[in-house]
Amino acid sequence: MFKSGIFNIFLTLLIQIKGDDFKEEIFIKPLPPSHLYVDFHFITLVNGEESFEHSYLAPRSLGEIMSRYQVDELHLTLTEGQWKHNQWGYPVLDAAPGAELYAWFNTDVIDVDIQWKKLSSTLSGLFCASLNFIETFNTITPKMSLWPTGAQKPKQNYTSQLRYASLPREIVCTENLTPWKKLLPCESTHGFSSLLNSRMIHNTNYHSIGVHVRRMCVDNNCLETNLEIKQTVALVYDFKIINSMDWSFRKLFGQGLPGACPLSSSSKIYVDTTSNSTYRFKLTPEPNLILLSQRGGSETELAVYNINNSIMMNIVAKYETKSKLFVNIPPPLSFTRYVLGYGKEFGGIVTELTNNYWAPIDVVLLENAPWWLPIQLSSLRVNGEAESKLILSQYYSPGRSRQKPYHLELLLHLPPKSTTTLTIDFEFVFLKWQEYPPDANHGFYIGSALISANLPTAKNYTSLPITGNTFDSIVNASKPWYPMVFRTNGAMVSLPTPDFSMPYNVICLACTVVALAFGPLNNICTKELVLKAPGTSISLRQKILNMFKKKKD
Amino acid sequence: MWASASFVGVLIIIGVPLWWKTTEVYRVALPYDKINAFDPMSHFISSELTVLANDDKTAQDIAKQIEKAFEQSDVIKLKIKKQVLSKELQHILDSVADEQEALEEVAATFNTNIHNTFYVVQRKPLFKDVWVGTERVAFFRDVKAAPTLVEALVHWIYEPSVLNGARSETADPARQIRFPSGPGFHVVLSVVHPKPQLMKVDFNARDAVEDYIGSFVDEISDLHNFTLKSQWLHLLEFNFEAKEVTDSPGDRHFAVRQDRLPLLLTRLEERAATHVSERPTLNLALYVVPCDTAPLVLYDADNKRVSSPVQAFMSPKWGGVVLGNPTQQECQEKLYKPNVNLIMGTFLSQLRKLLGITDKRAVGGARLEALRRAAPRRWERDALLRLRALEQLASAQASLASLAELLGEISNIVINDEVGASINLAVDSIQRAGQLLERGDLLEAHKYAQQGFLAAETAFMEPSLLALLYFPDDQKYAIYIPLFLPIMFPVVLSLKNLILWFRGKPVHKEKID
Repeated sequence: MFKSGIFNIFLTLLIQIKGDDFKEEIFIKPLPPSHLYVDFHFITLVNGEESFEHSYLAPRSLGEIMSRYQVDELHLTLTEGQWKHNQWGYPVLDAAPGAELYAWFNTDVIDVDIQWKKLSSTLSGLFCASLNFIETFNTITPKMSLWPTGAQKPKQNYTSQLRYASLPREIVCTENLTPWKKLLPCESTHGFSSLLNSRMIHNTNYHSIGVHVRRMCVDNNCLETNLEIKQTVALVYDFKIINSMDWSFRKLFGQGLPGACPLSSSSKIYVDTTSNSTYRFKLTPEPNLILLSQRGGSETELAVYNINNSIMMNIVAKYETKSKLFVNIPPPLSFTRYVLGYGKEFGGIVTELTNNYWAPIDVVLLENAPWWLPIQLSSLRVNGEAESKLILSQYYSPGRSRQKPYHLELLLHLPPKSTTTLTIDFEFVFLKWQEYPPDANHGFYIGSALISANLPTAKNYTSLPITGNTFDSIVNASKPWYPMVFRTNGAMVSLPTPDFSMPYNVICLACTVVALAFGPLNNICTKELVLKAPGTSISLRQKILNMFKKKKD
Repeated sequence: MWASASFVGVLIIIGVPLWWKTTEVYRVALPYDKINAFDPMSHFISSELTVLANDDKTAQDIAKQIEKAFEQSDVIKLKIKKQVLSKELQHILDSVADEQEALEEVAATFNTNIHNTFYVVQRKPLFKDVWVGTERVAFFRDVKAAPTLVEALVHWIYEPSVLNGARSETADPARQIRFPSGPGFHVVLSVVHPKPQLMKVDFNARDAVEDYIGSFVDEISDLHNFTLKSQWLHLLEFNFEAKEVTDSPGDRHFAVRQDRLPLLLTRLEERAATHVSERPTLNLALYVVPCDTAPLVLYDADNKRVSSPVQAFMSPKWGGVVLGNPTQQECQEKLYKPNVNLIMGTFLSQLRKLLGITDKRAVGGARLEALRRAAPRRWERDALLRLRALEQLASAQASLASLAELLGEISNIVINDEVGASINLAVDSIQRAGQLLERGDLLEAHKYAQQGFLAAETAFMEPSLLALLYFPDDQKYAIYIPLFLPIMFPVVLSLKNLILWFRGKPVHKEKID
């Protein structure tokens, strides 16, 4: 009896040691009138501080990278397409088009730049993405706009340990999805990840895969921390592409859901049915639960499916009215960005921020221009004025050619019901011929600007609260502020691009000219005219030469 | 004429050397003569052997026979000392019942902790001719045991054939199995659980790795650094194409052909994430066989059942796989408790081979005490040090020699200061290690050999070597020919006249109107 008691204790200890926890979730939100937002979350919680060497559910490859480069928090997204905030509202996690990577290193790391370079190169290998193109000349250290979302030791300077880079040109495809899937404990054979069929999910308006690693407090005292590895996939389907407004798993993913991952402790599907009041649709099968959430003055209705078996299922939504006029109510904060100017000498970037809310909103705007697009702080205009009361604080770090990007951060106070226009001028720079990317005439991408805002309302807000890791944490999660980091759309400029065969042509032409000029010059300098007496005999060679000369005459 | 001379002066006397100098490939001066003088086969290791016998004559005889046996070997040179055991120790050795106790007695009088030493001690009451344990001591019964003793020394303790294989260019069987030398290894234990929904596995991978593998690798930390890791790979299913064989009613097993097994390694490699670590990884995988195909039994190439308590196989230079077969009862209870001792013991025996400790073949009349702990025997560690020192020495010399050869063949390889420094360091370390080996200072020699090996590898693998490699000659000539040909033609032709003029001969033989 005693023995078995000890054994039981031992067994519970064992279970605690490998107390990794895995959860999977899908959040589906119709974006009337024409789109559908599907967001996958795969959350692995790793118990304890140092379980990198021995992993149970967590991917060892990622853990190894995190511990080797002493990374405290890591965010990597690979995105194709542009999230339309004005039309679609806000996503759970916003991502810049292309590849975006930012990480906080441990405060023990002294040379952050070297670790950052190594980290990006290793991740580049792990995800088959061109993250190895992250260099010092496209990396910045945001001062105000990004803050760690995980648990952090108090009173330490985290800002200097942060590095941020985005590669807007990166094209995201299947080769990134396959290694991403390998990080999941169930890979793509079981559970929700088996829906991620690359043929279907790349046939969308917007898709973004991401890996987010952070430390989370175990309890309120925060004496112990867990490591949270969150893998996300965000998809926006266009009803035009799937050919109907009615959607089903079979239409979206090409197959039904084969059940939950056997390793997950919870597998849930949330369908946002708030829009059901205007656009009526019917879900089959019936959801297990209907959740009503009141958060920051907006109501959300969620239909919840608890998946715990391995029976093939297919969730279908059927709309009752097919066509209806739709009035788009814009979210509290919306923004656009575009490029000004003509010709190949000067240009400008315009960022328009619109506050649709009845209260002022403070935002941090981060403009990050590559070194080949010098932006001048002196040309910054807010609503056409050089000196504006709207700027509460600013940080500007001028770039250096081939070494450092231009980095401007502004803390702006956006008055209620207003649009603020920021203009900043840039000039075009000539690159060296080796610095042009392949297909240089395609144009050059400028990365997205970051807008970090504390929204006063949760309207259109779908993000999880900072302490939550699963979707049920949004239920009734009213807070005074709803923090969000947005990415504006990127832009494209066309730099003066030379004809790339020119250098060789120039060399050949110059050589020919030199050669042509040299011959006569040499002749004039070295040959001299000597008078020949008439009677002297003529050599045979001279006779032959003379014959030619006479013919010419 | 002066004009002609000045053209020649500018273009040939100043221009050509300038062009030569500016287009030269940067190369640090390298000790080519030393590198070319390298001969891996010339290295040998000195080792100390002490014969302790009850009387002078026995010691003489034994020493003579051992000396004779190792006379031919050019890779190992034995320094044999003879000594007569004191009466007191003789008495104790003859009276203690157990060999282990006898070992302790020998260790009390002689220092058996020194690397690269070995004691051959006479002990009358032995059951067999020769007894070898975990310490650097072998017992023998009397003079008649000499041939057996020599055989044990050759095949177990010193293994000159394996050492020969380490320094030569062609790989011997032992080298085909063991990992190439390196500063460190990751040891990753992967527990593969194909069907977690059907059965639970009660196995603590972390403790298993740290207890068993940890105590083994701690003992050879002189040689390599090890990091121990473990991971679980779930839902990795593999079709063994097993055939069901019924042994007796109600008792069956599944037969797996040997040629299916490499495919399992491919599947494992996909998920094991070995590519993220910077060091070579030793893979150990425990494959938990799903109940519907348990127990799996491996069949060898002759289609014969492999009979061993653990079904396991090893892939040279990759790692080992153990198949964990749950019993029928465990399948019914849906909880599999692997026999940790047995499984980790199998992994250890695979690890020993992968790291270079050879399997000891049976020698008639000699008894090799079985291993009781995870740690390797002391004299095995010495053998490993000898082997690795020699191997790294040979490998460093080979890479330097081939680098020197490449530099001779391909003219536009850059050797910058850093590469030059590591080549020089490698050459110095190799020489130093060679001398130390000849002196028999094993630990130091291994340290220098490793340093030389690493320096040679970094020099050979340095990407800056290739900086100018892609500069094709045809493009060079595409620029040189239009520029140099029309210019050099008249200048070179005017040389003839210039020479005549210098000799004071009349220049204007031909006259132009």
